Amino acid sequence: MEHINKFFPGVKALDDAQLHLKEGEVMALLGENGAGKSTLMKILSGVYTRDSGSVRIFGQEVDGNLSTRQAQALGVAIIHQELNMCQHLTVANNIFLGRELIKNGRLNNGEMNRRSAELLESFKIDLDPETVVGSLSVAKQQMVEISKALSVDAKVLVMDEPTSALSNSEIQELFRIVRNLRDQGRSVIYISHRLDELHHIVDRVTIMRDGKYITEGKFSEMSMEQIIANMVGRKITEQFPRDSIPRGEKLFSVKHLNAGRMVRDISFDAYAGEVLGFAGLVGAGRTEATRAIFGADPKESGQIELEGKTLKITCPQDAIRQGVVLVPEDRKRDGLCTKLSISENISLPNLDQLCSRIGSVNRKKEEEMVFRCERNLTIRMPGPHVLAGSLSGGNQQKVVVAKWLARNSKVVIFDEPTRGIDVAAKVEIYHLINQLKKEGIALIVVSSELPEIMGISDRILVMCDGRITGEVNPRNTTEEEILTFATKFEDKFSSAVVDA
Amino acid sequence: MPELSRNYYEGVAKMKTNQNPFIRVLAIRGIGQVLSALVGLFILCIIFSIINPNFMSGANILSLMRQTCPYLLVGIGQAFVCITGNIDLSIGSVMGMSCMISATLMTRNMNPWLAVLIALLCCLAVGVINGNLVARFNLPPFIATLGTMTVARGIAQIVNGNYNTDSIGTGAEGFRNVFYYGKTLGLFNGVWITLIIWFVFNFYLSRTRSGRHIYAIGSNVDAARLSGVDVIKSTTKAYVVSSFCAGVTGLILCASAGMGSMETGMSFELYAVAAAVIGGVSTLGGSGLLAGVIVGASIWAVLQNGLTFANAPVAIRNIVIGIIVVACVLIDVILRSGKKLSQGKKEEKAAV
Repeated sequence: MEHINKFFPGVKALDDAQLHLKEGEVMALLGENGAGKSTLMKILSGVYTRDSGSVRIFGQEVDGNLSTRQAQALGVAIIHQELNMCQHLTVANNIFLGRELIKNGRLNNGEMNRRSAELLESFKIDLDPETVVGSLSVAKQQMVEISKALSVDAKVLVMDEPTSALSNSEIQELFRIVRNLRDQGRSVIYISHRLDELHHIVDRVTIMRDGKYITEGKFSEMSMEQIIANMVGRKITEQFPRDSIPRGEKLFSVKHLNAGRMVRDISFDAYAGEVLGFAGLVGAGRTEATRAIFGADPKESGQIELEGKTLKITCPQDAIRQGVVLVPEDRKRDGLCTKLSISENISLPNLDQLCSRIGSVNRKKEEEMVFRCERNLTIRMPGPHVLAGSLSGGNQQKVVVAKWLARNSKVVIFDEPTRGIDVAAKVEIYHLINQLKKEGIALIVVSSELPEIMGISDRILVMCDGRITGEVNPRNTTEEEILTFATKFEDKFSSAVVDA
Repeated sequence: MPELSRNYYEGVAKMKTNQNPFIRVLAIRGIGQVLSALVGLFILCIIFSIINPNFMSGANILSLMRQTCPYLLVGIGQAFVCITGNIDLSIGSVMGMSCMISATLMTRNMNPWLAVLIALLCCLAVGVINGNLVARFNLPPFIATLGTMTVARGIAQIVNGNYNTDSIGTGAEGFRNVFYYGKTLGLFNGVWITLIIWFVFNFYLSRTRSGRHIYAIGSNVDAARLSGVDVIKSTTKAYVVSSFCAGVTGLILCASAGMGSMETGMSFELYAVAAAVIGGVSTLGGSGLLAGVIVGASIWAVLQNGLTFANAPVAIRNIVIGIIVVACVLIDVILRSGKKLSQGKKEEKAAV
């Protein structure tokens, strides 16, 4: 793949990216969140079309409008992070899904099972082709997905974060299969945030940053520090306005919060007039932690205190009533009622302030509230009665933020507040965060973009694998330091692994 | 800052233009479908009055209004549930329950008003159960209300030992007048009851906090929950409204027949869906107006009444009504999917 460009409106997602893959090698594709790895892979597999550049597979030029089906025929297969399996069908059914063998107009189950068994056998995967996929562990399902790709004779296998949900021994099993594939002359593109596991399987490394190709080289010839420096390599620009004000009283604290696998023993304090940043890689458990604090997901244990008093939060209503609010990560899914108007969205959590005694909504007060929010946030809208779903991403985000500003919250949690919005809207959100800070609100900001979190936070906690692995001061830290904390997985590899 | 204030004054100016009542009505979200259904209703009325001039006679209009009431009432209830994004299949059986419980108690010489109260309370209980099954225990609404539908029908059968009741007798004349036969200011009482219920619930849905919560749940249940909406409570309210409407409809049918029949309300849950959907209520939730239900129920009743007037045999009537209902919704879906397709393309462009 050479000189690949890909534009999204307002963003150049890929800027002259390139990737070279040899036969029979395992290559790691590395980069920060948003570096363009997934976009590049989606172009390779035909999910997106490229705007310019060329793709050659085995020396053969590939048409610009590559479809997923054509990509498959050329031998490119992707194993996604989230597996795409029909949970209720058997292993053999899944492997032959869409290409079922037919004999005399009926499904030839015997033949499909036999061939699946052969395939699994050839990779020494211990699986009965007649097992129902849903009953298998995630690791085994992944193996089925790999087998499925191999059953169509895939030459290039892309694995996106394959180990994120696997246990240690399962990872070893996966690595054995990957090595097996390499020895058969197939090529593997391996995307992972876990830098410490690479040395078990990877031959070469390609590093991307901001949609650009940075460098590539033999893994054995690169040091870990070199890799991280290449992944980060950026200066924080002046696009992050940070007003330094002395931080206030301790306002909010979370003690030993546990909720599922992704939130393990989280403790922190947040101060009035301070922006507390949560950094980490995607899937580090930051979103899960904020949702548990807000009461959107159940907590197993832990204590939450506001102004020295213990809060009992079992559902979002509890949190909102007591002044803790959350601007969720995915505004389409969790933040916005797209079929309701802007004003209805803004007033939704604040109806208690707008209602008469019989519960009827005072529309005049409602309109006043909406106009106040519009003024404070410069939401560009044709009118307050327009459907919220018709706004642009940045304005939608402002609506989601606006609804919480109309009430006197004490703690505001932002989860990825600037995801998918343009630069100008981002800066407006940063100004808003500063404004809230001056009003003495405790702010918690979760962001996967390191420059952003370093630019706006007064203090940063780094999470990895559901735990807080470090605390840094953004004024005298480096992205390298944060990334080191963010990849500080529990000692799965250093001691337990015996390399084959 | 000057830009901000200009923005603000433009907004205020817009508010002022909204004071014109006609523009205000047109600005209500979802009014378009109601108006297009209304046009359909007029066309149907014109066709039927050409076929049989008596269709537009005063007497027929009055009885037409009375025939519309049951469909309108159950349609209101179903609309509430549909707007939350769910469905209530128990409506017909709840009607049967309310009819049989009240009639049985009246034939046992209970005070008719006490009987009415008991019947309605039983209906409300079904609504509470439906709401909790769907929202608290996350059962699929289709299955949950299918279950309560069967149970409620069973209760309707068991209250009088698996027989229809005898006549509810002279003691219940007052009840029959209030719910069906009597007239006030030239309109049948049943029509008045329906109108009052419509006005109350229309206010409830469009003007109150609970109503807003019902729309929010239907539009995006996760966003609503994260905005502090009590999803269980609000969903249950919608189901209780539905059961209450079904209960009142059962009472009206009981008053009209003068006895309790175990079959009362058979398939009414589906008529309710038809009335709501023809009137522009989305079965996917989040949108719909009770004004539309009036139009939807009227179309349904006009079809029944007009085809009878046109001497169409029952079988033909059913076929014609079925086709017209599907056609109504199909046209709406095509019109809206056309809009959505272009929107979808825009979104794709925006995403890419």
